[in-house]
Amino acid sequence: MNDSYLETLRAALAQVSGFIYPNELELQWSILIVLYPYITGLVAGAFILASLERVFNVKSVKPTYRLSLLVALAFLLIAPLPLQVHLGHPERAFEIFMTPNTSSAMAMFGFVYIWYLMVVLLVEIWLDYRREIVLWSKSETFWPKRLFYKLLTFGVDNISPRSLEIDEKIGRALTVIGLPSAVLLHGYVGFIFGSIKANPWWSTPLMPIIFLFSAMASGIAGVLLFYMFLCWLRDEPIDMPCIDTVAKFFLTALIVAFSLEMLETLQTAYEAEEHFDIIALLVEGKLYFSMIFVQILMGSLTPMFLLGLAQLFDLPEKVRKVFYGASAVLSLVGIFAMRWNVVVGGQFFSKSLRGFTTYKMEFAGREGLLSAIVLAILPLFVLAGLLYLLPPWGERAGKESATS
Amino acid sequence: MKDISHLLRVAGIFVLVVAGFLVVRHFMVPKSFGEVGHYRADAVDEIRALKQHYSGDAACPACHKGQSQEKAQGGHRGVRCESCHGALQEHVEQPKSVKPGKPKESEMRSFCGRCHEKSLSKPPKFPQQNLKEHNPGIACDQCHPAHKPQ
Repeated sequence: MNDSYLETLRAALAQVSGFIYPNELELQWSILIVLYPYITGLVAGAFILASLERVFNVKSVKPTYRLSLLVALAFLLIAPLPLQVHLGHPERAFEIFMTPNTSSAMAMFGFVYIWYLMVVLLVEIWLDYRREIVLWSKSETFWPKRLFYKLLTFGVDNISPRSLEIDEKIGRALTVIGLPSAVLLHGYVGFIFGSIKANPWWSTPLMPIIFLFSAMASGIAGVLLFYMFLCWLRDEPIDMPCIDTVAKFFLTALIVAFSLEMLETLQTAYEAEEHFDIIALLVEGKLYFSMIFVQILMGSLTPMFLLGLAQLFDLPEKVRKVFYGASAVLSLVGIFAMRWNVVVGGQFFSKSLRGFTTYKMEFAGREGLLSAIVLAILPLFVLAGLLYLLPPWGERAGKESATS
Repeated sequence: MKDISHLLRVAGIFVLVVAGFLVVRHFMVPKSFGEVGHYRADAVDEIRALKQHYSGDAACPACHKGQSQEKAQGGHRGVRCESCHGALQEHVEQPKSVKPGKPKESEMRSFCGRCHEKSLSKPPKFPQQNLKEHNPGIACDQCHPAHKPQ
């Protein structure tokens, strides 16, 4: 052991308070593990919003249907990356498929992921776009794009009413299957945390449900924001009945997620088991800003208040747009804080329940802030690519080219 | 049939992908995987065949009787010889040509500090010192003989 290591150890120990075990000094699950449930949450939430139109026939949200699917796909493609970067050795990821370990929830997730990506999302998007893909494969002038569409037609350009009707039926059936798959995809993340019985901050059967509803809120907020931004970018009017309905579901998801979290907290406080003292210290101390201020006040109560006002009063369009946009941004930040409070917060206190460690985030390292920012922005680039290749407003363009 | 031909093609691609995966899996998964557990059984023999580096304490008293007796009476009786002298199997096999190592005098303070650096998490009776303040610059074995520390 060299002197510089001892110096680092001394500096780290100075940040520790109370009594902790030696292996608790360093936080193993870094900001990338915060990012991972955040991204999968956005996927599940966006897909659930898409299913509103398809399965539950909420026609007013149709303008966001395709966008929701593309958002879900863009984020799903990037979702495993934070895990890969955290673990290193991305080549080993394939071993969970080669030699599946059925007793590991983490390993089984690989199958949930691949099922959701390959069977649900890709096929559903393909079926929904097939008509346009066939039309674009004939009308597109830029050859690489035309080739891309040509490949996606799989050599069949039959878009007879009967074939489209069959596509519609299968697409609907896929969404019905996809809904529980999306729930499984994100519920699993909560399940992993909820089943860590050694950690009282995590170990609760409510964890998957809390994760799921906050995921719905974040996914809906994300799609709402993308939709409003794209309308502004394309200089198109925002479909107000659509975003009014989306905002209603957004508010519902927020209320349920917030109520569940508060119920859980209240129950922990009322039961006041032996771990409660350390949790109270955690919430009043290290998590005060990120939990009380960012997650609860800024990320939950303020959006609920703004969305509630829009529901209760007949506000002008302009004000509603500002309220919806602000609520979406605030709750996206708030839900990120929630993931932070769960993942990092749960590692702050010692198993001895008598001390705290600390988390000093690197800036440029593999698990540093910079990696996290890159991984958080990456889905936006994927989404931009998907919007370029499969414009969600393409239905109209497709119809126009069909008639010309 | 014509109206579902595109679906049949996609289904065909899925079948091909799954079949391709099974073929790749057949060649990628090691033969002995899963024979005795969720790992490659051959790995056990491969590990057994690796060169042994550590001899264990039992090998030392045969030649180093004095030091072994001295150590057995002191505070370091629970510390393995190889903790300070490094891996010794080669020395056991060729005692003349391979000599055991020991901590350099210049590194001794940080070496001993691995166990004896003061820390709140250690039991209060365990000998520990703040090495920044405790006789700085002097090698530990000047005052505390390593085999029978006082």
